[in-house]
Amino acid sequence: MTDINTYLREWTMPHVLCPGCAHGIVLRSFLEAVDQLQLDPDKLAMVAGIGCSSRLIGHVDFCTLHGTHGRAPAFATGLKLARPELNVVVLTGDGDALAIGGNHMIHAARRNIDITVLMLSNAIYGMTGGQSAPTTPEGAVASTTPAGNTEPMFDSCKLLIGAGASFVARVFAANPLEMTKVMADGITHPGFSFIEVISDCPEYFGRYNNIGGGANMLSWMTVQDEGVAGPLSAKRFVNHVPITVLSPALATGVLEREVRPVFSGIREG
Amino acid sequence: MSETTSGLLLAGVGGQGVLLASMIVADALVRAGHDVKQSEVHGMAQRGGSVFGHIRWGSRVDSPLVPLGSAEVLAAFEWAEAIRWVPYVRDGGAVVADIRMIVPPGACSDRRSWSMPYPGIDAEVFASRGLKTRLVDASAIATELGNVRAANNVVLGSLAAFLDIDVVHWEAAIEQFVPRGTEEVNLAAFRAGREASEAQIPLPTVEPEGFSGPHEIDIRHDWCKGCDICSRICPEYCLAVNGDGVLTVTNAEACTGCRLCVLLCPDFAITIHPPQEPATVPVHAVQGGASR
Repeated sequence: MTDINTYLREWTMPHVLCPGCAHGIVLRSFLEAVDQLQLDPDKLAMVAGIGCSSRLIGHVDFCTLHGTHGRAPAFATGLKLARPELNVVVLTGDGDALAIGGNHMIHAARRNIDITVLMLSNAIYGMTGGQSAPTTPEGAVASTTPAGNTEPMFDSCKLLIGAGASFVARVFAANPLEMTKVMADGITHPGFSFIEVISDCPEYFGRYNNIGGGANMLSWMTVQDEGVAGPLSAKRFVNHVPITVLSPALATGVLEREVRPVFSGIREG
Repeated sequence: MSETTSGLLLAGVGGQGVLLASMIVADALVRAGHDVKQSEVHGMAQRGGSVFGHIRWGSRVDSPLVPLGSAEVLAAFEWAEAIRWVPYVRDGGAVVADIRMIVPPGACSDRRSWSMPYPGIDAEVFASRGLKTRLVDASAIATELGNVRAANNVVLGSLAAFLDIDVVHWEAAIEQFVPRGTEEVNLAAFRAGREASEAQIPLPTVEPEGFSGPHEIDIRHDWCKGCDICSRICPEYCLAVNGDGVLTVTNAEACTGCRLCVLLCPDFAITIHPPQEPATVPVHAVQGGASR
């Protein structure tokens, strides 16, 4: 196994994220998946839009493309059509992918182009000051919903299955081994792979909703896991969680996997 | 209790098909014209715990439980379970056992001392009470036939020698109870078990690979933001964030190298070195480019 840090642009470290932000855990799990698959760093292109999650691509030593807000799937589509030999991975956030770029996301899924989308969902707009996002659970406090969010939240996996993505999965940042496995599956899947990673924002979501810092946020997310909770529910880790906000239980694991013709821009036959 | 009632015991580990085997035995006995009662215990079976089934048969059976020291035969699917349940067999009875060894999960609960090793083996347990033994390497036979999960039927094949049931009844019961599509391999396993050669009493096990000394925790302080995740997740309480928000190793002797802290560190700040491996000097030097 390679030292994971060799995949980082070490001179950019430490990264820009807040203390306890689970996005770093997700990035590590992704790099472990890249390492397991022995992908060539020069043949791996990461495309991102705008947001905390999108900032991560600045720290990895692959080919990286920082696009405009919400348009990462569009940049990725162009890149994959022009350079089909590349592994194209889109790193995006919940606001970037579902609100600002919702249109681009569903149409990339509809075409079933062979890219992998990692959507890091922290249920809030972290970079811009904690506004409520399409994934903010009902009742949760955000800077734009000081008395609690009144809107229902998106189930992004159902949305993407409906849009036609051929690989859809949901994982929790608190389960790094499962994350790595599902990401490796998603990268190798031929066609559009969408992986929602439930990440966290201790700085805004955790603070506004009295959940606490990074460690508490991780155990908070495990109680939303519909499947078997991860290692964090063991021992003292879970005892510190005041459960004030709870989204509906989320199904985890690979939720959709089918092999369909992959979009290449060329009409066959 | 009828004078003609006999009992047998099946014992193994969760996942080996002990209960399925006990249904097959019970059904074969019914087909042979006996009154049969069967009972089972399967507590934490799916976690690798002990599973056993009691079967009693005769012209009339009132209770399914086999009293201590009265079973005709013990069929064990795992070596430690064979030792554990031997007291249920009557003097001069028989023991059929798979020599496979499965280390119980309890032995893994203390990762440092491994204070629960695999039980010792004493052939005297059998000889002193005049027990007939038939040991088979059922798992190896079943693996050779293509499916290790058919090992339970290999044991039943060996068990058949001690019970007066026509082969026709055995095979009908197997066909009825095994999962659809696996009839062939299970019947083959049963037949192989009837003819299996006697296996040797297994030698005492090699010590499990355990704690070989504390791992070294290497913290990269210029990347660590003191978020407290690693110190809260560490099962051995090795790490703590001090009052200044600096992560420190508080219990270096206890690190078992589970790497939970490494996997859950958002800042790539922790590396774990195994005891033998010389710690590499971390590269803290700025590698060109402007630092952030």
